[in-house]
Amino acid sequence: MEKMNRRKFLTLVGVGSGAVAAGAMLSGAGLFGGPSGDKSSGTFSFRAVTGLPGGALPSYASYVVQGNVNMAARSGVVARAVYAGYPGAMTTIALPRLSQVVRVTDVREAEGTVDITGVIDDASQLRPGEDAVVQLRVDRSRGTAWTRFLGQPVELRLQT
Amino acid sequence: MADHLDEPGLSPPGGDPSIDITDVYAFKKSGQDKSILVMAVNPLTLSPTFNHRALYQLAIDTNGDARADIAFNITFSKPSSAQRVKVRRARGDDARENEPEGRTVISGPTDTVVTRGRYKLFAGRRSDPFFFDLAWFLAGLPLPHPTGVDFFALANVDAIVLEVPNSALGTNPDVRIWGRTLLPEDDDDDEDDDDDGDEDDHDDDFVQIERMGRPAINTVFMSGARKREFNRSSPHNDPAEFTADVVGVLTTLGGALGGTSHTAAAAAGLAGILLPDTLTYNYSSGGGFLNGRRLDDDVIDIELGIVTNGARTTDGVGVHGDLLAAFPFLGPPH
Repeated sequence: MEKMNRRKFLTLVGVGSGAVAAGAMLSGAGLFGGPSGDKSSGTFSFRAVTGLPGGALPSYASYVVQGNVNMAARSGVVARAVYAGYPGAMTTIALPRLSQVVRVTDVREAEGTVDITGVIDDASQLRPGEDAVVQLRVDRSRGTAWTRFLGQPVELRLQT
Repeated sequence: MADHLDEPGLSPPGGDPSIDITDVYAFKKSGQDKSILVMAVNPLTLSPTFNHRALYQLAIDTNGDARADIAFNITFSKPSSAQRVKVRRARGDDARENEPEGRTVISGPTDTVVTRGRYKLFAGRRSDPFFFDLAWFLAGLPLPHPTGVDFFALANVDAIVLEVPNSALGTNPDVRIWGRTLLPEDDDDDEDDDDDGDEDDHDDDFVQIERMGRPAINTVFMSGARKREFNRSSPHNDPAEFTADVVGVLTTLGGALGGTSHTAAAAAGLAGILLPDTLTYNYSSGGGFLNGRRLDDDVIDIELGIVTNGARTTDGVGVHGDLLAAFPFLGPPH
């Protein structure tokens, strides 16, 4: 299978040039490592994965949420994407029109839990009726993250 | 998905979307003693062309034992110049070989409708006729159903469309059909000294990479490594090898979705219908799925009701508007 670089991937998933820039920013911030914090700069990065669908159906794809947040400035970027392949056999094939870039608008931290609020500025990344405002929670003590996919709560595992 | 990207991380000699079967269709040509057979590959057109090293096969079982008695073996030339396609028809033991056996029935350039005798052929890029709200499935089929969004509305595939006289499917009108893709066991593109790019240049020893009959069988019922095992196996072994997987989903899914799951006995009965994974098709009938599969059959709605025991009955999306009334029937690519 053709190897994809990051720019090609972001183009494939159809999230536009703004998202490409966001992806580049995330990559440059060392996003692809595990959850990490840098107190000197006040940044916090994470990457979390879970299988979709969950529950009684066999997982077919992987939902990847990865972010880079400036705790002090309460800003940052979170990317959410669905890749073909269940966790453990995930491919680099991002399913088109299922990727979203979230601009972080607020961050709150308490007892190891980071609550992130953001907004999806590109309306083309939203389904009809989908709320542009996004909530995420990263629980470092439990090694999990939480968000919604198509309005359904999804718990993801932080990658270390 | 129907069968799109059903084996994540295909390892060599796979790892190639051009041999990833997305759908198989079989339906009667209206008013004629002919059938249309379709095998679509290359989900989301991640690959530029058909794989000239691969063997694409439409297998036909004429006696109900889920073993091929007739096979249409389809091969392609190198895509360096205009790619050509050749279809051979094999019978009996030859149909069960992992080789491009058989007598050539039609050949020609890709992306062109070719006619030879009572056969007609098109192989090339088309609009993906499959329709499904994939995101809703990935979200776990929640209710109330959000506004349906067809994930495949703008997707393309590479399709092999073959019009055949029904007599080419055998004398018994009740047949089983499935698609297979195979690659040379030693898939080294540079080692064939005789490879001059013709569609006749193919190594003899092929291994099966992928197979599909009805839509979503692998996607819905097989977990993890079982997906690959399913793709590598043969329909006649399905009842023995995969019934437990199917029963496992059928006895849990309806309840997990807030409805009532199938009983073990009912699930076993349904598994006996869903397996072997072949399209059952009576070529004298114009009826659709589960008699063959027409391009506009809402197979997801049909299967949802069956699999969830009525807990879900529709994904809220319908047939594409770009289907053609005439051969090759699939709409032009986007």
